[in-house]
Amino acid sequence: MKDLLRYRDLVATLVIRDLKVRYRRSTIGFLWTMLQPLLTMLVLTAVFSAIFRFELPNYSVYALAGIMFWNFFSQSVTASMNSLKGNAQLLTKIPTPKAVFPLATVIAGVINLLFALVPLFVILLVTGHSIQPAVLFVPVAILIAALFTFGAGLLLAPMAVFFYDTIEMISVLMTLLMYLTPVFYPMDIVPEKYRWIVRFNPLRSVLEVFRDPIYYGKIPPLTHLTVAVSVTAVALVVGIIAFRRSSDRIPFYV
Amino acid sequence: MTSNGVVIELRDVSLCYRLAKRKIPSLKEYAIHFVKGSLAYEELWALRDVVLSIEEGETVGIVGRNGAGKSTLLKVISGVLKPTRGTLRRRGWVAPILELGTGFDFELTGHENIYLNALLLGRQRKEVDEQLDAIVEFSGLDDFVRSPIRNYSSGMLARLGFSIATAWKPDVLILDEVLAVGDARFLKRCGERIEEFRQAGTTILIVSHDLAALQKNCRRCLWLEQGRLQADGPVGEILDRYREFVEGTGTPPGA
Repeated sequence: MKDLLRYRDLVATLVIRDLKVRYRRSTIGFLWTMLQPLLTMLVLTAVFSAIFRFELPNYSVYALAGIMFWNFFSQSVTASMNSLKGNAQLLTKIPTPKAVFPLATVIAGVINLLFALVPLFVILLVTGHSIQPAVLFVPVAILIAALFTFGAGLLLAPMAVFFYDTIEMISVLMTLLMYLTPVFYPMDIVPEKYRWIVRFNPLRSVLEVFRDPIYYGKIPPLTHLTVAVSVTAVALVVGIIAFRRSSDRIPFYV
Repeated sequence: MTSNGVVIELRDVSLCYRLAKRKIPSLKEYAIHFVKGSLAYEELWALRDVVLSIEEGETVGIVGRNGAGKSTLLKVISGVLKPTRGTLRRRGWVAPILELGTGFDFELTGHENIYLNALLLGRQRKEVDEQLDAIVEFSGLDDFVRSPIRNYSSGMLARLGFSIATAWKPDVLILDEVLAVGDARFLKRCGERIEEFRQAGTTILIVSHDLAALQKNCRRCLWLEQGRLQADGPVGEILDRYREFVEGTGTPPGA
């Protein structure tokens, strides 16, 4: 892991390659990063303010922040899982620390998330949502989310190499996890007796820490923050241990 | 022999490719087999108890039939594969040129691949900036560096790979059959560059089926047979024995 610092130029190059490859074939390029969450937000807002009616003021901001977070997390985890297989040509022939691949993937995800912040702030202005100084906390929240995602990626990437169906399985679990996380619904629509499930979902605190400063205009409460930092630390430690233990076997299986 | 000048040392190195007898692609099946204790693997020992020590500045040829473990040995020495058993000790920066198109992304241009490849080898961006022109010049690719390398011929890939890996003087240079596809002029330039490194003390390992070239370039030669180090000694003697063996007149291994 300490090698990663020595290979920082490599990580930067892999990030740029990632972004280039992602946008090379599409005509409006990285604009999609901004457009996609906006369009999803429009759909959700239409559906949930017309049909289901959540009692949430300015639902579109709530939903958009949630979608951005979710997109970052799910896309980065999926891309991390593919990163070792996708770079099999490189890592079976050159003695490079293998963690650079999931790391570069998550960093590319963060950059996409930063791009997506632009339309978010446009929506904040358009809808007249008040922007509080607490918004300066967002970078910290993104850092927490990135480290959590990196941990998850480190754990899952080797599994995807050893077992072909990890990717399929995780994609199903991701859908489940999305519904167990208050990405686009408010906490209080969850029936009392099921609320503990959502509450114990480790991802939820990480999400709220990101959304609180944007939607509620406040620094996240200490309870959320403590939980988010703790689960992130656990995810990182577990991810690093799992990756180190399996790292030597990866070139035999990719 | 003093141990001071040892650059590469392998102690009882064995390497096993574990191939699952049954394909076990799913976690569920893995769990079932694991519980039943029926996880059967076919063990393929590509290297067996290799003991080897290479001094600084030596040029060592490696021969052996297909599947004898030559490429695996180079992968272990370069650090791509970790030995299943035994230990590897190594000093200095290794430039491995293992196969055609090693460490390239075929969607990127030659130019982008120079950076990618050199950084993968552990170089810093600044170092690549400094050497960029020299690398392009040596590869002789001219304007082709701006097009994606999927359009390159195998000769062009070999030239680019060699130019990048040898842009900095390596402590250990590993060549796996890579020069077979270059044209005469490029081979000559490669030969000159390798000679320069040799003079400057680089340790060189060459795998090749071109025995005449090995005879010319190496003093010492290793002969691998079924993952074992069959023989290790002066190039003339080893190649004679190897030739006899391959032509079917020599003593079979182990006899």
